[in-house]
Amino acid sequence: MTPRGTFRLGLVVLVAALAVYPAVGTGYGVRAVLQIFMWIALAASWNLISGLTGYVSFGHVAFFGAGAYTGAILITRAGWSWPTAALAGGLAACVVALVIGYPCLRLKGPYFAIAMLGLNEVLRALVSYFEGLTGGGNGISLPTLEATVPVYYAMGLAAAAVTLLTYLVITSRFGLRLMTIREDEVAAEAMGIDTARHKLYAFLLSAAGPGIVGALAARDQGYIEPISVFPLATTITMIVMVLFGGKGTVWGPVLGAVVLFVSQELVWARFPYLHQLLFGSIIVAVVLLMPRGVLGVLQQRYHLPRTI
Amino acid sequence: MARPVLEVERLCKSFGGVAAVDRVSLALEPGRIYGLIGPNGSGKTTLFNCITGIERRDVGSTRFNGVRIDGLKPYEIARQGIGRTFQLIRVFPELTALENLLVVTRGSLAGAEARALELLRFVKLDGLKHEYAGNLSYGQQKLVEFVRVLMRDPSLILLDEPAAGVNRTLLNDLLEAVRRLRDDGKTVLLVEHDMKVVMGLCETVFVLDHGEKIAEGPPGVIQADERVIEAYFGR
Repeated sequence: MTPRGTFRLGLVVLVAALAVYPAVGTGYGVRAVLQIFMWIALAASWNLISGLTGYVSFGHVAFFGAGAYTGAILITRAGWSWPTAALAGGLAACVVALVIGYPCLRLKGPYFAIAMLGLNEVLRALVSYFEGLTGGGNGISLPTLEATVPVYYAMGLAAAAVTLLTYLVITSRFGLRLMTIREDEVAAEAMGIDTARHKLYAFLLSAAGPGIVGALAARDQGYIEPISVFPLATTITMIVMVLFGGKGTVWGPVLGAVVLFVSQELVWARFPYLHQLLFGSIIVAVVLLMPRGVLGVLQQRYHLPRTI
Repeated sequence: MARPVLEVERLCKSFGGVAAVDRVSLALEPGRIYGLIGPNGSGKTTLFNCITGIERRDVGSTRFNGVRIDGLKPYEIARQGIGRTFQLIRVFPELTALENLLVVTRGSLAGAEARALELLRFVKLDGLKHEYAGNLSYGQQKLVEFVRVLMRDPSLILLDEPAAGVNRTLLNDLLEAVRRLRDDGKTVLLVEHDMKVVMGLCETVFVLDHGEKIAEGPPGVIQADERVIEAYFGR
């Protein structure tokens, strides 16, 4: 069997195993895998804009928060079912991305990163301010509903969808054009590539996933408040996962999400104070020793395609 | 005189009070090879950047096939049919040689791939098509950049020091390629320091000094022009 065939077979087996897992797994296990799905969707989404175009977003959790609030409001105020509310959360995040992306994507390098950081703070301040709609600092409590297993499947679908999207983008000419923006934006323009439009498309694609999983997480947790859905730490975790796994690759964000989430859980359970230290050490080690991440290093060394 | 492909009229561009390009006018006719020479810092690259929209001109106009293009974005100008290379190589280092060519195309990917392979064969890089462009030698990267320009089939090609760093054998192929482009009716404007290349290739040469055009004419006349000699060697 070819390596590719083996890989595909393994993937099918893995998906099947994950599909039946809620029937056999413990409550803790199902919740843990649900979280891993969420992190895969978040990290892979960040990879779409920052890993491919090189525009580092330091406020990507803003889309997660926008989706969470949209979903929570539609569920509590308008009585929407949570799956439709989740899709609306993705749409809302795209609208935010469209409004903010148009001016912000003209900024280069650190200025874009800081602008995104600012966006997150602005959104958090806005939801705190409009108390009538969002409950302000009191947050929103969603009606009680035991939906862990359906949300598990929805999160899994979101993770798979963003990963598939990444594969389709990376293997397309559109994806190559996004990479030229990272490599040399001036040369890309001089070669006839409309970089502004491409950046905006990538930004929209990268906002949809966080918006959807934001709304799913709101449904899952049953309660949201400004601090819980707009934390800078979530953005940083997405970034570290992608950098660890390998930015600009298909499976790098998946690997990063799985490895970091699992190691965090293990360390956190045993050494509550050490886990921050461990996380910080991983960031430093990755940046210093392998700025391309695990799969990035393998890709360069063995001439593998980006679809790893 | 045929209708000019490119007309630059009284173009000015200054950086913080220093005029990098100062009231430069020139007209390029189709199917000819033009040279642009001048001492370091005389404004050659700035003029290229203004024509291709990478720098915005302060005053003056640029017309391409009679239509004004100054004020357009670089990608819009490129799509009109102007291609360029850069003085310092600007390939996409983490894309393969083949991808560097494919990425700039539009329309059918299969057609683009056939054309890309043909061009890579032409510069003898087909064996390295899956190599990252950043891993190629300086001269090879230069060739990738050159054929990348051809992928979009531009009618006007601006080459910024195409000969620098390319070995003799390849250079002859490159010059032959430029002549063939001319024979196909394309117009080429090249900045070059290698006078042998300029004199052997160009039909008309423009000379810039301190941002101003100080001379224009056939290579033989330019070589004997007193102002040109003065600009290069001093009085």
